[in-house]
Amino acid sequence: MLQPEALQLRTEGRDEQQERRLSESEEGNNPFSFTPQIIRLHKDHELFEDGDIHRHMYLQDLYISEAEDKPALSVSEFACHISGCSGVFSALEEYEHHYNALHRHVCCSCRRSLPSARLLDIHIQEWHDSLFTILAQKQDMYQCLVEGCGQTFRTNKHRKDHLIRIHKYPPDFRFDKTKKERGKEQKDAAMEVVDDVCESEGVCEVMCNSPSDEPEGGESMETHECEEKATTEDVLAAAQDTESTAPRKPQYSYRIPNTVCFGHGSVRGFRGRRGRRK
Amino acid sequence: KLAVENSTLRQARRDRQLVSKRLLLNEDEEHLIFPQDIVSLLHKLQHSGTEKEAHLKALSKVLRDPAAQLTFIKHENSMHLLVGLLTGSNAQCRLQAVRCLHELSHSSHTNVAPACLPATPYLLTYLSGPSTKFTELCLYTLGNMCPDSDVVREKLLAQGIIPALASCIENQRHTLAVVEAAAFTLSQLLQARDAPEKIIPIVLKSTLPSHLLSVLTPDPQFGLAPAIECAWCLHYLICSTDDNKELLAQGALSQCSSLLVSLGGAVTEGNKEDGIELLIWPLLRCVGNILSSCPEEDLNAQLTDAHLPASLCALVQAYLHTLPALARETVWVLNNLTAHSTEFCSALLTLNLVPGLIQLLPFSQGINTMILRILANIAHKKKVFCVQLMQLGLLSALCATLKMADQEMVIQSLDILFMMTVSSPVVAEEFVRQDGLSLLEVLQYNGAAEMRQRSTYLLEKHLLSYQQHITVIVMQPYCLC
Repeated sequence: MLQPEALQLRTEGRDEQQERRLSESEEGNNPFSFTPQIIRLHKDHELFEDGDIHRHMYLQDLYISEAEDKPALSVSEFACHISGCSGVFSALEEYEHHYNALHRHVCCSCRRSLPSARLLDIHIQEWHDSLFTILAQKQDMYQCLVEGCGQTFRTNKHRKDHLIRIHKYPPDFRFDKTKKERGKEQKDAAMEVVDDVCESEGVCEVMCNSPSDEPEGGESMETHECEEKATTEDVLAAAQDTESTAPRKPQYSYRIPNTVCFGHGSVRGFRGRRGRRK
Repeated sequence: KLAVENSTLRQARRDRQLVSKRLLLNEDEEHLIFPQDIVSLLHKLQHSGTEKEAHLKALSKVLRDPAAQLTFIKHENSMHLLVGLLTGSNAQCRLQAVRCLHELSHSSHTNVAPACLPATPYLLTYLSGPSTKFTELCLYTLGNMCPDSDVVREKLLAQGIIPALASCIENQRHTLAVVEAAAFTLSQLLQARDAPEKIIPIVLKSTLPSHLLSVLTPDPQFGLAPAIECAWCLHYLICSTDDNKELLAQGALSQCSSLLVSLGGAVTEGNKEDGIELLIWPLLRCVGNILSSCPEEDLNAQLTDAHLPASLCALVQAYLHTLPALARETVWVLNNLTAHSTEFCSALLTLNLVPGLIQLLPFSQGINTMILRILANIAHKKKVFCVQLMQLGLLSALCATLKMADQEMVIQSLDILFMMTVSSPVVAEEFVRQDGLSLLEVLQYNGAAEMRQRSTYLLEKHLLSYQQHITVIVMQPYCLC
């Protein structure tokens, strides 16, 4: 929009910091290009439109100094920059909410989003750790999902019964699916919170097309009907947020390659033992 | 009705045809006049003796009507008759005759004004006359005629309108109404399409610029209206010329900025006179644009008022919600002020103006992008400024702007982040501590190359070394070990 006119960089008296930056740019692959610039605006520049209108309304005796209809001051929106997600939010809190609900505890291998670090850990263990599978044949490996309970079980089913009986969980608790159930569930969007995002924002292909690493039967997420079945309230709210905004972002063509996860703990994959198993 | 006018004007501006005329109303406007046939009026004028004045008065009222205007100019000899009365020995007739011409000049039909050309040499001559009302009418008539055709302007220039306006303002500088009218007329000339080639060079060589500047004084008895006209003239002069060295030499920058400081003070005190923004607007533009003609080393000599940065920030706050476009132009001026001046960057810090600017980062449509430019200007100058910016909370503000939908905001945020990060390990560590790395990681996969390149570069070259635990994981193929 603005066309700055570059003025020459001063060559004397440079600060050390500018020296360092310049030597970096000489490396050739430094993408940063900011230089301070005086911006000259010509008479007909669009930035001058409002002021010119006020001026001419004054000349034509149409001017009211404090007009009733105040022009709205607009606020920048926020957008989720995660490749494939086109959520747009009007407040930072909404963005944070969305991010925390849908992107924070994401499994690297299958892209499923879990509501907490602990559930993510358990998921990775139970779904992607081959050692777990082996050990589970002989030991009680399935942990109770309720934090602090500490009990372990030989099978998923035992755990489920325990959850229902002791902790009064619903029989179809979203975050306790077995691997085998995935293939059969056509309508369940339980763990596929990421699918919720895709559905509501219309960029399904990007994220859903990444095939998961599971060995059984080439099951991939896009075979599931993406449905708006929210689980916890958080997820529901986030999904509705993203659903209500029309996707106006360009379709991202950059998928996160399967071989890389975000570092820093937001998305995790199998990391080997973390010392929790008995 | 206002909304319709507003959008009509906007479209006209986009078509480069934004033109306004001013009508000076008579004191006894309320008196009704029976519609009279123009032709018969003209006939009466031609043949009557003692009632010419009355007929002229009637004619001037009839000529308010656009249809009558067209009839008038089509009528043979009508203008000749009018000019005769304009230059005759009867003073009252002269006044009424010029009023008729004034009504004609206000016509929205572009072929009416050119029909008044025979009168212009006399109108120009009368500019140096003693009667204020008469001079005003002459001036507004001339001013209204200017936008309508190249031919009209060419003739006026040849007839010496520029020197006439110059001596008018000079000789009658204490008559506010005349100064206002003369500056209005000049502004009409300066907005013409061919002004940069044909008009502005002549104006710059005349005494007009210095007279215009002398009107821009904060002296309250001088009145807002003449200052408004003069300021808009200066704006048209400055923005149409690439090199404003002469205007700089005449003190344009210091005069405009001093007045801005006074106005900023008045506005902050709640002293918002009606229409004060009509003066602030062109002054901002004058200062903003003329800064590009001012070499860095002369900046301090030219800008004697050290209060300018603070006044500009005050203006932004004062108009942010009521006139966001004005606030936007104000931050544009701040950018130009800080672009190449370490002193003004330093002033923003020492005068504690930066927190207020950071708080403006949510506001879009050109405001926050310009604010980031200003902050980048500061960061660019010195390492110690970067540390100070960090202490004022810029890093956490950037953690928010990096999440914005506006690509330009994200890219500029990355640019500032880069400058701040390389300035000092303290800044880099703080950014990592504020969990900024995850923001950058997300951007590495963004659709826009500019974002990917910048975030990757920052992470790889500068920030990852500050991380305690490197957790980039490469997924192995499924294996049993």
